[in-house]
Amino acid sequence: MAGVLLWVVCPKGNATALLSLIPRSGSKPKKRSFNRVSAISSAVANPARSSEQRVYDVVLKQAALVREQRGRRALDLDLDLDKTSEKADGFTDWDLLNEAYDRCGEVCAEYAKTFYLGTLLMTPERRRAVWAIYVWCRRTDELVDGPNATHITPRALDRWEKRLDDLFEGRPYDMLDAALSDTVSKYPVDIQPFKDMIEGMRLDLRKSRYMNFDELYLYCYYVAGTVGLMSVPVMGIAPESKASVESIYNAALALGIANQLTNILRDVGEDARRGRVYLPQDELARFGLSDEDIFRGQVTDRWRNFMKDQIKRARMFFDEAEKGVSELNSASRWPVWASLLLYRQILDAIEENDYNNFSKRAYVGKVKKFASLPVAYGRALMGTSKLI
Amino acid sequence: MVSLSRVLSVSYPAKPSVPCKTFSSSSRLVQKPRLNSKWRSMATEPDSSSFAPSVDSDSSADKVTAGFCIIEGPETVQDFANMELQEIQDNIRSRRNKIFLQMEEVRRLRIQQRIKSAELGILKEEQENELPNFPSFIPFLPPLTSANLKVYYATCYSLIAGIILFGGLIAPTLELKLGLGGTSYADFISSMHLPMQLSEVDPIVASFSGGAVGVISALMVVEINNVKQQEHKRCKYCLGTGYLACARCSNTGSIVLIEPVSTVHGGDQPLSTPKTERCSNCSGSGKVMCPTCLCTGMAMASEHDPRIDPFD
Repeated sequence: MAGVLLWVVCPKGNATALLSLIPRSGSKPKKRSFNRVSAISSAVANPARSSEQRVYDVVLKQAALVREQRGRRALDLDLDLDKTSEKADGFTDWDLLNEAYDRCGEVCAEYAKTFYLGTLLMTPERRRAVWAIYVWCRRTDELVDGPNATHITPRALDRWEKRLDDLFEGRPYDMLDAALSDTVSKYPVDIQPFKDMIEGMRLDLRKSRYMNFDELYLYCYYVAGTVGLMSVPVMGIAPESKASVESIYNAALALGIANQLTNILRDVGEDARRGRVYLPQDELARFGLSDEDIFRGQVTDRWRNFMKDQIKRARMFFDEAEKGVSELNSASRWPVWASLLLYRQILDAIEENDYNNFSKRAYVGKVKKFASLPVAYGRALMGTSKLI
Repeated sequence: MVSLSRVLSVSYPAKPSVPCKTFSSSSRLVQKPRLNSKWRSMATEPDSSSFAPSVDSDSSADKVTAGFCIIEGPETVQDFANMELQEIQDNIRSRRNKIFLQMEEVRRLRIQQRIKSAELGILKEEQENELPNFPSFIPFLPPLTSANLKVYYATCYSLIAGIILFGGLIAPTLELKLGLGGTSYADFISSMHLPMQLSEVDPIVASFSGGAVGVISALMVVEINNVKQQEHKRCKYCLGTGYLACARCSNTGSIVLIEPVSTVHGGDQPLSTPKTERCSNCSGSGKVMCPTCLCTGMAMASEHDPRIDPFD
């Protein structure tokens, strides 16, 4: 399998290269854009298909779809005329559509303030599209993680998936679905990442422990990597970019995973209080830790070493993601860089809290956030000069 | 009235049932799902259609609610479509009665739970207040209780007294005309390059205007804060209405049927008005359920009734 991104663990426990997906508390998929990951193929004597391989298959398929559409149209935006005309039969009330988008923006501003501010750096059309995607993802996440999560059943998730299929065919159920339906008619977004996210919700209902990295990677792909894949078509690829489409999608995936890892590392205590541990059990064991230590919530030296290791790995994902931001459309680079830099700072904040993610929430102050904006702008300008 | 008798014959269980959920460990986390093991085990059943997690009371009661799913489909409101109007009213009445009795049961169960967990020494993170407190409408101030209301009064009166004292006695005595080191009113106005007309304002009028402006802006601040607090409790998706506009009929409730008209034969006839039919998605109401708040309009769809959480 070409281009599989795999990391080999050093036996000394210095898991520098292990991409471990730390189990996520299953909430708030971050919509970050992606960067390009140059896929490195490492030899792994693993006969069964690992999660990375399966995820990479999805990435390849997405890239193939995009390339096909790019072949049809030279521009970033691909107006799928069939979808538009079909949709026009059911929903041509533009006032209601605008109201729906505005509502999506309000929800985004309410629940993800920093992210909302980031979307203000995008073009108005993209902003609305990202809001619509955010609201759908949040509603999906709330099915298993929100106020009604106690009433969730597999049947409800199946119905939700049916609604997703319908809205992709131009028959949205309610106004918020309609906003997403309009978005997918304007941008070449594929349905597979959305379905995978629902699959991730199903997984979250069953599992609360992850035995190894492989399981975690799949989960992180489901809840965060998919978000990356969803937003690439909205952000757009720079026309002058010479990078392969797969690598851009890979970078997007890496950014999603990096964000998810960061979330997980920040929320260890909160998740533990709900009885969930999103850290790979085998790695915990390697550092001499167990679920009991996590539930107890004491910061020990073993914990510090474990956390250092995990943070290092998350940073490696960010590094991979960075390689691809420059390939995006020039209008989208600034918000993506900003979100990347801001999220990286959460890892710094965890370190500053002396790795106490049980009782302290790693928080990036407003000043630091604002200071990242010009830095992000600078890096966005550099853009395609970093190309080969 | 077969259905009515069926409904009435289903009574709530006579003996109080032991709660099979573990509330105590996660009682503070209102936001998170409390029944981790519960819905996970439910999820593994192939098609668990009963929504009530507690296995004891609802096995008989839920022939009708067995179809409940938090994501509604077009057929959801058709459940009771076959009833007559009187039947529906009777059903509503009996269900409300059941709800009332069950809320009472929950209250008693919660009291027992608290007693038992206190006996077992399970610590609760915070103790409840004997008296409720009210969040203050003024931003940045701590919540009010009957106890610190006295403190509020004292602070308020002393501030007023202090200001009157300052303005009436201290300032003139120190010849602090405007607090700017001895300038008179006219000098101040001219130094600010404002029209000299202002310096001839009657002091009574000036103080009245100043006081009125202060009072009005303070009241505005309080009202705005009040609105913000109420909005905070609203479901953000449906803005408190509990419903979202149906996308199929664009909130109108009806779908226009489009018939292609041939203009080859009889092309002179005027077009007839298009036929409409009831939107199947929302059954003609133009609105569909908001799945986030389950039509309650509140940000937290769970009950805010103190009988459910008497100690919160």
